[in-house]
Amino acid sequence: MNKITQKTTAAPAGLSRRKLLQASAATAGMAVGAGVIDGFPAIHAADPIVIRYAGTGVNAFRELSEQCKADTGIEIQYTTLTSDDVVKRAVTQPTSFDLLDSEYWMLKKIVPSGNLRGMDVSKVKNYDKIVPIFTKGELPDGTKTSRTGIAPIKVSYLQGAESTEFSESPTDFMTLIPTVYNADTLGIRPDLIGRPIESWKELLNPEFKGKAAILNIPSIGIMDAGMVAQAMGEITYGDMGNMTKEEIDKTIAILIEAKKAGQFRALWKEFNESVNLMASGEVVIQSMWSPAITKVRQQGINCVYQPLKEGYRAWAAGLGIPTHVDGKMLDACYEFINWYLTGWAGAFLNRQGYYTAVLDTAQAQMEPWEWAYWMEGAKAEKAVVSPTGEKIAEAGEVRDGGSYWERMGKVAVWNTVMDEDRYMVRKWNEFIAS
Amino acid sequence: MPARLAPYLLAAPLALVFLAFFLVPMVLVVVVSVFNYEAYQILIPDFTFQNYDDVFSSGVTYETYLHTAKFCVIVWLITLVLGFTIAYFLAFHIHSLTMQITLFLICTIPFWTSNVIRMISWIPLLGRNGLVNRALMSAGVVEEPQEWLLYSDFSVILGFVHLYTLFMIVPIFNSMMRIDRSLLEAAYDAGASGWQTLWNVIIPLAKPGIAIGSIFVLTIVMGDFVTVNVLGGGQIASVGKAIWTELSYLQFPPAAANAIVLLGVVILLILALMRIVDIRKEL
Amino acid sequence: MPSERRSRSFYVLATIFALFVLFLYGPILTILVLSFQGPDGGLVFPMRGVSVHWFVDLFQPQSIGDIWGAFDRSWKLGLIVLVLTVVLSFLAGLAFRRRFKGSTLLFYVVVASLIMPSVVVSLGIGALFELLGWERNWWSSALGAHLTWTLPFGLLIMFAVFNRFNPAYEEAARDLGASGFQTVRYVILPIVAPSLIGVALFGFTLSYDELARTSQSGGALNTLPLELQAMQTNATTPVIYALGTLTTALSVLVITVCLVAVLILQRRRAALGSDAGRGV
Repeated sequence: MNKITQKTTAAPAGLSRRKLLQASAATAGMAVGAGVIDGFPAIHAADPIVIRYAGTGVNAFRELSEQCKADTGIEIQYTTLTSDDVVKRAVTQPTSFDLLDSEYWMLKKIVPSGNLRGMDVSKVKNYDKIVPIFTKGELPDGTKTSRTGIAPIKVSYLQGAESTEFSESPTDFMTLIPTVYNADTLGIRPDLIGRPIESWKELLNPEFKGKAAILNIPSIGIMDAGMVAQAMGEITYGDMGNMTKEEIDKTIAILIEAKKAGQFRALWKEFNESVNLMASGEVVIQSMWSPAITKVRQQGINCVYQPLKEGYRAWAAGLGIPTHVDGKMLDACYEFINWYLTGWAGAFLNRQGYYTAVLDTAQAQMEPWEWAYWMEGAKAEKAVVSPTGEKIAEAGEVRDGGSYWERMGKVAVWNTVMDEDRYMVRKWNEFIAS
Repeated sequence: MPARLAPYLLAAPLALVFLAFFLVPMVLVVVVSVFNYEAYQILIPDFTFQNYDDVFSSGVTYETYLHTAKFCVIVWLITLVLGFTIAYFLAFHIHSLTMQITLFLICTIPFWTSNVIRMISWIPLLGRNGLVNRALMSAGVVEEPQEWLLYSDFSVILGFVHLYTLFMIVPIFNSMMRIDRSLLEAAYDAGASGWQTLWNVIIPLAKPGIAIGSIFVLTIVMGDFVTVNVLGGGQIASVGKAIWTELSYLQFPPAAANAIVLLGVVILLILALMRIVDIRKEL
Repeated sequence: MPSERRSRSFYVLATIFALFVLFLYGPILTILVLSFQGPDGGLVFPMRGVSVHWFVDLFQPQSIGDIWGAFDRSWKLGLIVLVLTVVLSFLAGLAFRRRFKGSTLLFYVVVASLIMPSVVVSLGIGALFELLGWERNWWSSALGAHLTWTLPFGLLIMFAVFNRFNPAYEEAARDLGASGFQTVRYVILPIVAPSLIGVALFGFTLSYDELARTSQSGGALNTLPLELQAMQTNATTPVIYALGTLTTALSVLVITVCLVAVLILQRRRAALGSDAGRGV
């Protein structure tokens, strides 16, 4: 249907792609939009649409873009960036991408800039099936999830399509359509520690002097530190996700004291650094992300993602559309997002150790035993292999932390941006400098 | 073309690049910073006062500058001595241009492997189970793995020397190549010893190269954050790193304030250096 | 300097130089060893077997990151930067040999560009293009960003090159009736040409390895360092070490071939009694 109009708008020399899109959108927009809502199949193979997708490498998998191209004809051009650069690009140069893959806490920085549009939930086919963590702030069985820190529900909705204000209650306009999320805890080397680890406070246990590491992304690191300080009984927070200046001072003071005593071997910032620190034995206990554990294990090194009695620190990421995107490109973005939620991508990401936003469709794409291993905490029937071909677990092993419910149900806090963010970053810099 | 105009025309392309890609963007950064802080509902009147106050009132600022300055001085001294020695070797002991170029290329090749990759490789080189520790232990020099090799002031300085000695070698080498060889013959004929020639002839004539190399090393080390971050294990502060952290949190005004202070300090350093050697007078 | 005095100091200095080179290659040696990791191995010791798995893998599409696409952009950008750096610094270097109005200002702007934290410069350029509504690309905004980084080095090295440059050559040329252009082209350029190689090497190497200034000015397609850096946000395999080993091996090979060729040429020339190609 849209092929005809595309042919008539054969690119005049010197006309930018965007202008071209706007021009053709005027005529083709409605028709294409209708096609997307009705169902998939508008295959764009004849004139592939290229979506510039900016985000970190967390889920910028080639396999995803290839599958998407095969299913919908839409081409994904990844601009892979470090987490810092994602936020900076989103705020200062929104026209440099068409689709943004961002973490929920970053929204507190990005949304006030007015660069993200509220996404019309009626265009998202599987909207009703998105786990209620994002739409209601509760688990599928109805229990409320923690609201400490930037719980996704706090920033999931905007008051209007062009609003820069979050809405506490669901509206028709979503900031991000969730893609992956997870519950984080400490990673440990049981072979080098030799005893059970049960609490966050072990991170600052002098026993691991010079062999511990913490995450140097203030929004995340401060929460790890908060979990530790609370577990040690040093601080009882009013709201750990939104500390007062005094609480920040105390937390940072504990970190500084530990640092001066030589507790930390290093602070890490990117995923891969944590893998190297752990695999090389420089560090035996540290804040870590689930797939990083998998990666260390693949190198034949025993590494456990240790569930702790105080609970998990969780995070979530999703796809957002910048305001400059319109017409055909906007439709393509919705089409891509719809494709994302149809299961193939969900299954792929589940097998990486993340959780996906729409569980039903992902389950349909996974073997029952796979689902049982990843989601239900069951013993693996056979050896578990990642989508990229590496062995993750032997038959008979169980996932660290157990089932989805056991893990997501025990989330204590979310990554955060506090009201005292500026003060916190300043103090964090003091911790680094001390 | 009229000779009077020549310098302007010759300098124009370079000047235009800096106008378009440096001066204008810098003005913009200041504007953008005000923008965003409006959005975060932080009052603009606070803007100038608060940020500079934050910079100057915090003891950490002085600590950070002091620490960065310490790196600067140590690295400068090491690269200067090492760089001068090597430049001397290349300029006076290697006679064929082909060989000189070849040796320079040999020094450059390691830098064609991206710094991102090289930085990772310091862990398996200097870490607990790294090559150096294993060599030391198997040679019986030490019993236990040495932990100060990595994630310490030592490793940061090592990293700097590794990266920036070449920045010292090249300008000094170029200065030395301009020294008229007959001056050295004259010194020798006049009975000067090798050291006397070095001290009284070569060093004074190589001063501009030394000054230029020093500008490179001082400015880069003052502003660096990658080396400090990776080889300091994220635990060692530097001015560049503080700015970087602020920027990654979109805190433009404090970052801008910090950047301006940094700029001021380094320009002062260079002014002082130019007092000693005005490189532009030696052209 | 007479050679009989040189011998001892030559060996001392040569040893220092050799040790320095060894030091420079320290990380490269580690990379070399670890690029032969077994298929299950990681970026750090221990080795999990020995294989060429990662060299093969390097030529397969990666799950995360497009190494070859980025490599292709980076070396092209490096070459463009090389040429512009050499030309612009050479011209400006000539300009600075005379006093002109604003020369001090220009000098300090150039130095300021060296000092200004790269992240700030990068943000500014990105924001400028956003404001103008221009698309950012490696060959436009990123090129500009790279030049603000390489030109200060280029210009200052030109200062060292023109350092005490004997004006007698130019005067002689002028006396013989050469025009300004002819003087530059036939007198100055040949004399400083070998030194320009240093500027060229700086230009290429600094650009090829530039990270911070490109981070916000690079547009949708990453340069190699940016791509490699972004790959750190997921699990990275020894494939990047294989890339390092390959880069080094190829560079050494190319340089050796060139060197041999030059030496052969020189032998021939020497046989013909010419002194062309000798240093200044």
